[in-house]
Amino acid sequence: MNTGLIVLFVVLGLLVLIALWYISTMNRLRQVDLKVQEAESGIDVALTKRFDTLTKLLETTKGYAKHESETLQNVIKWRNGIPQNATLKDKEEFLGQLNTVASGISVVVEKYPDLKADTVFKELQVAVMNTEEHLQAARRLYNANVTQLNTIIVTFPQSIVANAIHMEKRSYFEAEEKKRQDVEFKF
Amino acid sequence: MPDKFASFNIAKQKAEKTLLIGGILALLGLIVVLLVSPATADVETAQILGGIVIGIGAIVAMVGGGMFAKINRTFKNDILIGVMKELMPETTYQPDAGLDPYTVYQTECLKRADRFRSEDLITGTLEDVKFRTSDVVLEERHVQHTKNGTHVYYVAYFTGRIFEFTFNKEFDGYLQVLESGSPMSSRPFKKVAMESIDFNKKFRTFSTNDLSAFYVLTPDIMERMMKLEQENPGRISFSFTGAVLYIAINNNKNTFELRLFKKIDESMIEEFKTDFLVIKDIITSLKLNQKIFKNS
Repeated sequence: MNTGLIVLFVVLGLLVLIALWYISTMNRLRQVDLKVQEAESGIDVALTKRFDTLTKLLETTKGYAKHESETLQNVIKWRNGIPQNATLKDKEEFLGQLNTVASGISVVVEKYPDLKADTVFKELQVAVMNTEEHLQAARRLYNANVTQLNTIIVTFPQSIVANAIHMEKRSYFEAEEKKRQDVEFKF
Repeated sequence: MPDKFASFNIAKQKAEKTLLIGGILALLGLIVVLLVSPATADVETAQILGGIVIGIGAIVAMVGGGMFAKINRTFKNDILIGVMKELMPETTYQPDAGLDPYTVYQTECLKRADRFRSEDLITGTLEDVKFRTSDVVLEERHVQHTKNGTHVYYVAYFTGRIFEFTFNKEFDGYLQVLESGSPMSSRPFKKVAMESIDFNKKFRTFSTNDLSAFYVLTPDIMERMMKLEQENPGRISFSFTGAVLYIAINNNKNTFELRLFKKIDESMIEEFKTDFLVIKDIITSLKLNQKIFKNS
């Protein structure tokens, strides 16, 4: 066989291999990105659940401590839940506000023994705890997927494909644990 | 209790002696059959004699085995049930009963066996957590065709303990954490990578819902599962199905059995106690009695 023809076949073979690798890397990136998006919507669902449960808890608190309840209600920026165009930073901030309200309710309840004994209040408190567990799970799932995506993006040679399709590193969803502990209430 | 041990030890020694005599007789018979030279004048007589001695030895050994099994059963009923009640009053120990095959296959991490055995059933409630556990042996049938005919034999692929813990709270989806293998189920299980590298190295996590996996497997629980794995030699599998957690420990161990040529004493009872307390260990170390696993 002609040497030139052999070289041509080798080059063509290599090009096909590169194309296949490029497509599979691109697909992998898109799949992980989709997982990140799904996980982010999981955070939205968990945040909404936490917001709804806390709102109900505040309503119950109002019957015993109207002023404190209204003060806490004012801490929440979005009264109708998470807006469509909210960024991850906005959601972090929103979570911080919800956590502030939850901590505030814990302070209020210590002042009102009747409220503490209220059956509906107790049930809602458990529900709030439950939403916190769900939110933590959603946050961990999101962050695990972000780690997976970011690892591919920064690893050579996959980084070439990521750059070509304009895929960028994603931010983690932070819980701001420290800020929560520092909250002080003066009603 | 030591007096009671003494009578058991005497009976046990008698059974062991019978077993030993049977074994020696069978061995002697075998030696006679094997060593008799074809040149010997009375080959047939020697072989018949050897065969008879083997037969007598086998019968004596079977009698000894039967005696030992009877002592084992009596020991469980007379001693172990009491020990168990003392340790965990809200539980019941039934030496002759076991988990049914349906429950075992509900774990969805063990394949169906050709031969199933189960014994030493313990049921009850500990710290508000309902549980059932028993020894289980699962065997696979093998057929070997040789020039002398077909030989059928069974090989055990699971010998160990299965635990079932029932909660008042339903999990969303199905979750399995396995040391090896894959779920034995037609459910759409997907492999999930947890954020802990050590956990992923030790276990393979499968779930029908990623979020549920992260909800159940908190960092603390993952750490405790790894610790539990270290404390229990063998292959351990966790299966969360509906409102039930199954744990299967394949450790090639038959718990709560008397051992041949080992005296029954307090140290043996302590060993049995440790085996009983594994249930409590699992409940507390996996925090099954707390928070997300318990109904409000």
